[in-house]
Amino acid sequence: MTPDLIYGLTGIAVFAIGLVGALCAQDRLRRVLALKLCSVGAGFVLVVAAWRSPPADPDPVPHALVITGIVVMVSATAVALALIRRLQTLEAEDDDD
Amino acid sequence: MMMIDPVILTLFLPLFGAIAAFVLPRAAAWVGLLAVLATGGAVAALVRDVLAAGEVVTQLGGWAPPLGIALRADGLSVAMLAMTAGVGLLVSIGALDSLRDLRERQYFWPLWLLLLTGMNGVYLGTDIFNLYVMIEVIALAAVGLTVLSGTKQAVRAGLEYMYASILGALLFLMGVGFVYLQTGRLDFAGLIAAEPSGAMSAALALMVVGLLLKTALFPLHFWLPAAHANATAPASALLSGLVVKAALYIFLRLTTYMPLPDEILVTLIGMLGAGAVLWGGVQALRAERLKLLVAWSTVVQIGLIFIAFARAGQVGLSESWKAAALLILAHGVAKSAMFLAAGRIKDEIGHDRIADLDKSDIRPTLAQFTFALAAISIIGLPPSLGFIGKWTLMEGAMAAGYWHWVAVTMIGTLMSVAYFSRVFAGFLRFDRMRGELAEHKGWALADAAPLTLAIAAISLGLMAAPILSFIELGYPFGAQ
Amino acid sequence: MTDAAILFDLLLAGSVIALAIASLTVRDMFAAIVLFVIFGLLSALAWVRLSAPDVALAEAAIGTGVTGALLLKTLHHLRYVTGKLGEGPARGLTPTAPVPAGVIWANAAFCGMITLGLALAFLGAPRSGPGFDALVAEAMPASGVDHPVTAVLLNFRAYDTLMEVVVLLAAVIAVWQIERGLSDAPAPALGEVWQGFARLTLPAIVVVGTYLLWKGSEAPGGAFQGGAVLAAVGLLLLLSRIYVPQPAHRGLARWAFVLGAGAFAGVALLVSGGGRVAFEYPAEHAYALILLIEGLVTISIAVTLAALFHGREPVAAPVPEGRNDT
Repeated sequence: MTPDLIYGLTGIAVFAIGLVGALCAQDRLRRVLALKLCSVGAGFVLVVAAWRSPPADPDPVPHALVITGIVVMVSATAVALALIRRLQTLEAEDDDD
Repeated sequence: MMMIDPVILTLFLPLFGAIAAFVLPRAAAWVGLLAVLATGGAVAALVRDVLAAGEVVTQLGGWAPPLGIALRADGLSVAMLAMTAGVGLLVSIGALDSLRDLRERQYFWPLWLLLLTGMNGVYLGTDIFNLYVMIEVIALAAVGLTVLSGTKQAVRAGLEYMYASILGALLFLMGVGFVYLQTGRLDFAGLIAAEPSGAMSAALALMVVGLLLKTALFPLHFWLPAAHANATAPASALLSGLVVKAALYIFLRLTTYMPLPDEILVTLIGMLGAGAVLWGGVQALRAERLKLLVAWSTVVQIGLIFIAFARAGQVGLSESWKAAALLILAHGVAKSAMFLAAGRIKDEIGHDRIADLDKSDIRPTLAQFTFALAAISIIGLPPSLGFIGKWTLMEGAMAAGYWHWVAVTMIGTLMSVAYFSRVFAGFLRFDRMRGELAEHKGWALADAAPLTLAIAAISLGLMAAPILSFIELGYPFGAQ
Repeated sequence: MTDAAILFDLLLAGSVIALAIASLTVRDMFAAIVLFVIFGLLSALAWVRLSAPDVALAEAAIGTGVTGALLLKTLHHLRYVTGKLGEGPARGLTPTAPVPAGVIWANAAFCGMITLGLALAFLGAPRSGPGFDALVAEAMPASGVDHPVTAVLLNFRAYDTLMEVVVLLAAVIAVWQIERGLSDAPAPALGEVWQGFARLTLPAIVVVGTYLLWKGSEAPGGAFQGGAVLAAVGLLLLLSRIYVPQPAHRGLARWAFVLGAGAFAGVALLVSGGGRVAFEYPAEHAYALILLIEGLVTISIAVTLAALFHGREPVAAPVPEGRNDT
């Protein structure tokens, strides 16, 4: 058993857990959380794919890709959360009327 | 004065335009229009280059793929760029007039120009990870445009769209991971060279499902109708006419470089398309609002494009993509015209309830005429580009002996005649009006844009032969 | 590989999966976010184990730190608008229709099948290669920097990185657009002790962030990690009310948002010509240009992340139409 095998399967499991959450979760925040889990799962697979049995150095390209993916995901998360805040405010204002 | 590669300009002009429009909010409209015009000029230069050379390749940073990223323009990609530029320019002109609210204007332009950057990047891209980043640029800008009006319905639809978009992109990203795992590279050439394997099948499945979610193929269309129906008119026109086409285009490219492993999958794609045509048709018949009807018609048309893709099975794919491409171009032009016209009708009579269209004392005749012209192309009546696309679809299906695809297309056409007739009846009936008809408010610049688009959708049908030979330049789908 | 190391890997992997499940199933949303933050930090630890310190830094700072802060801020807002600010566990803040258990199980079974398929595909794929290793090693001397990940991000695949900065720009424009004119929950301000703490620690964080940025050319670190650390400065400034965004600062903020993307794209264009294409830095200036781009991108990232946390565009109330816009 090697680290890449262990963490590769971990990544796939985390991706699947996120997928279940994204499809089933009702709470709006929870769905954002679930999508973020999916992205970490995909990150795991890329980092594992870059890993080389020591003493060889890992491939830097997938590392750069995952960093890009993290920044893209935080951007998408911020927009989703802004939508949630806006929608919740609009709904609350309607209830007051 | 050095000459900058038009490929680079096609990407960078809208980007710089977006930046300028954002930091100069009061001049956003003029800066934005100028940037869209300039981008159109760059695309025109690209058309010239592709006509001369067949394909144009630029290796960014001087690094050859697979280490670096190359941009490639061929007939199909430039046809998509030109459609985007043309539709984008006319929608922009319409937006100059129809976006009255200062804040809407101020945010429309930077978001729309970022959207344009993302779409141009998709059509020029040859690297699957780069395509992932590009579809995210498109997604964020598109969601921003969806909720431009700020109403509760729009924000709710925008949030659903956002969830679907993120999930689609993440499925695609996971697919990219598996491609790297198997082949160690990310460029299209690496996909072509890859041997079939479990990882490549998993990658293809993940990426295709992600793209189908983004392009809203039935039954993954659930987010589309509300999002497209509740956006402001120029945003709806961009979302329905252009944005869904980006994921469709990536789908066409991917399935060429990573062929679907089995005939059954091609048939399945066609069946989903048939499901979209029938289900979307029923929903369009039931829709109570004009814009919702138009949005459901987009679901139908997306389905039709996938039927065109599957019309002659696996062996026919080398020809079928042309039918799909024609339908993509036709729908892009006609649907943006239709959404802009629907927006004008709603602006003038103050609502878009289909049942009450004939009770209005104001008759926005020009917008109604435009809507009808656009419907000619979407229904697929001659001589429109939509007709040529549908005809190409059915011709190929008949030649291959797949009569079921012909039957579904015919049924879909009849249904579209039925649901558009509901709208036409509202335009033409006057007997339910008691009082005098009010004076028509006169023409506006916002009427000119959709009218031009609708006329283009019909007259481009007369240019179908040159369009068909243009999209084959550079052999987008191999030399056979 | 020693058995102890493998045992550690197994334990870590198990904790990561358990935390992922827990963060989706625990009822209290606040607890869910806390569990998610721990999950993110442990994932980052796993990536350190896989010799990916840059990725681990980025995940800890941005994927977990900034995302966690964004989630907590949103939770605070939801509690405020639903009038449940002072209540205990954060539950049922958004309207929910009960999902039939059958649907959940069908989805879970479906996702289980996907997992199985992906796991089989993963087990069948080659490991420890193939990859870009040889190509990167060959191109490194011409890249202008010594750290391979920085070379990939700022040179070999600079186009991707530019577009990633553009995504960030699109996000901040979209957020300002979405939250315009939104009545705001009182920001979750920290107390006076925190203000003192903030004043004390801010200079140190600035130093760390700048160091990370500068270090990125030769060792793990770089614009994104540095930017995230500097964004933490912004978060502290906002939370401790040392800095309160003013409508008059909007023009400057806009320039700061676009600075990274604009400079990046501008340099990419300016170096082209004379036989070079866009992004092709002349060898003798590559290091300086990359450092310049990284510096400006870091500023943009820091300001943008802080603005994403703040959310709304600062607008004077009531909105003066067409005034104070630039």
